[in-house]
Amino acid sequence: MTAVAVRLVRLHAVSRRLPAALALLAVCAAGLRGVLYGHWDDYGALQLPLIFETACAAIIAVTASSPFGEPERATGRWLPYLRLGTAVTLTGLASGALAAAGTGMPLAGGFPDIVRNVAGLTGIGLLCAALLGGPLAWTGPLAYLVAGVYGLYTDWHPPALSTPWIWPARPPHDVGGALCAAVVFAAGLAAITICGARERPGGDGPG
Amino acid sequence: MTAARAAGAQEHGAPVAPRPAATRRGAGAAVLGSGRLLRLELRHNAMLWLLPVAFALFFYNGYREIMALPPMWNLRAMTLQNRLLLDLLIPVTGAAAWMGSREGRRGITDLVAGTARPRWSRQLATWAATTAWAELACLACVAVVYLITARQASGGSPLWWPAAVSAAGVPALTAIGFAAGAWFPGRFITPLVTVVMFFGVAFGTQSASGDHSYWQISPLTTGAFDIGAAPGVASFYPYLPDLSIAQIMFTAGLTVAILGGLGIPVARMRWLAAVITVAGLAAAGTAVALAGTGRLDPHGMIVIPALHDAASDRPLHYTPACSRTPIPVCVNPAYAGVLPAVTTAVGSELTEFAGLPGAPARISQVASVYQQETSNGINVSAHVSGASEFIVPDPLPGQPGGTSTQFAANLAEGLGLQLASHVILGGADQSAGAAPSQAKLAVIAGSVKFPPSVQSRDLASLYGQLLPQPGSAADLAGRRFAALSPAAKHAWLTQHLTALRAGRVSLAQVP
Repeated sequence: MTAVAVRLVRLHAVSRRLPAALALLAVCAAGLRGVLYGHWDDYGALQLPLIFETACAAIIAVTASSPFGEPERATGRWLPYLRLGTAVTLTGLASGALAAAGTGMPLAGGFPDIVRNVAGLTGIGLLCAALLGGPLAWTGPLAYLVAGVYGLYTDWHPPALSTPWIWPARPPHDVGGALCAAVVFAAGLAAITICGARERPGGDGPG
Repeated sequence: MTAARAAGAQEHGAPVAPRPAATRRGAGAAVLGSGRLLRLELRHNAMLWLLPVAFALFFYNGYREIMALPPMWNLRAMTLQNRLLLDLLIPVTGAAAWMGSREGRRGITDLVAGTARPRWSRQLATWAATTAWAELACLACVAVVYLITARQASGGSPLWWPAAVSAAGVPALTAIGFAAGAWFPGRFITPLVTVVMFFGVAFGTQSASGDHSYWQISPLTTGAFDIGAAPGVASFYPYLPDLSIAQIMFTAGLTVAILGGLGIPVARMRWLAAVITVAGLAAAGTAVALAGTGRLDPHGMIVIPALHDAASDRPLHYTPACSRTPIPVCVNPAYAGVLPAVTTAVGSELTEFAGLPGAPARISQVASVYQQETSNGINVSAHVSGASEFIVPDPLPGQPGGTSTQFAANLAEGLGLQLASHVILGGADQSAGAAPSQAKLAVIAGSVKFPPSVQSRDLASLYGQLLPQPGSAADLAGRRFAALSPAAKHAWLTQHLTALRAGRVSLAQVP
């Protein structure tokens, strides 16, 4: 890799606040590790990892926002690859960090659950970034968090939600849930790679 | 008139002169200006755009489950308090953090610093607009649930305290989100503060233990942890507002403290803001301390001695709803919806024993008695005297974990067995300690209609005491007796009950 390419990647990473995002992903992993030392009832044990997975996904989605807007799109052909690389790398790092945080601890669902949930939630976040803009990309994963937490709750209080689109409520090795999460992740990656985060001419969003 | 002359006139007892026109114009302009600012903020507020998200989350998460509950005010209102704030938390906190970080996010902090209004005043207007939309969402959800429940409920009256706690929690959520956004205006702050708040509110009660827990201050808590929204709570006695008052005091104090904290950096208003912050913290701290003094009362609600009104301990007066069965079953009107299920479950026993010596003229529901045990354990019992009283088993069909089959089984094991044993064994006439004859056990077993879901292990403790051992001769006689119609059983018992009680009926004589 040439020095120019390295510089391009570094500048792209800085423009997307990747150092801060990486630090926050590390904080999320540390937070998960910390709460796993606590004593939680069955609800808590199952629902807690989802909260940290959602936080990671929201952080990744928010990094999709570009501070430059239209001028950046005209600078070269590498931008889509940089967006794709950023999203995939952060998703992988987030999954790895959360899995590492759960090592040796009673982490509900284990690594398959983490990968599926982080990927699916990140996909939702990236789709929101493409539709609403990067600064508002957090709305999708956080709204889905409520649906996921409720889905896990119904595992105790029938009728349980059986749709695979609420994948956090499905067992870790459930194929339907994994497929749905993968489809959403792929759609999010495609949207952010091809279109990038939406630029709002009047500012960064309502308010 | 100058200000000095006006002051002099006041000192000499003369009529107070009207304030200068310029001052009045200034105050009026300030009010008008604030109103205009609030209107602008209302029109350009992120919460307005997130209202559909808030309604969708409430519909998906809370509304469907609340509406699936039996139409009882206590169940629905208490479940609403437990759900509504959590469902609104993400859009409300997110919108508030988004609005709070606006100036910093857009890099216009210095630009607007030169405007006529201090930053604190501008921030309060933005927070008020966000809170107004969020409160609208909250009250709309409450209104929908309460209006539908009012059309469906068979008795009781709306419980307003749970709704008030939810409504009081909304400004606290917006204040926390807004302050986080204002103090740390970055692109990550909105999702982070929202997730942290969700974690804190949703899991904040996990550490709670017993009725003295400080964690009861959480606005999602409607009472003792292992009871929650139970049909027996606030049906026979008024809903105690003690915990609700402490929770409202806490959320209001927190809101005031945070909003005061926003003004501390403003040089001119530092002392005022500091006093407001301290007052808010004092109120919130006092509320937490009060929650820690709570205790579970026998009616299933939390009593806080410093806030308790003894008048609330008087039972509610009501006209019971009674069934048209040979032995009428009367329940609290709030339970009228489950009366058909009760009479269906024990209908044959009510026909069979009606008019027999020792059978009650009617059976009335009594309230459950709750008692705190160690940790979060709660003992639910009833002071039932004879066969003329019973408690409606919990959970009711429609409650989480409650099914019609389970409800019928609980009734057969409770009311059905209680009625049969009382009539067959002679109630108070039964000599203490004497084991019932096999014929009596056979007749009891043949009289009580247990649903197929009741397993032998569920009744194991009753074998030899009220029911015959499975597979024994008495068990076979009981099955024979069970095959008779209720009318035939009634006719046989009319003729042979005295002899049966006296032990003069053998197993072979049981039809």
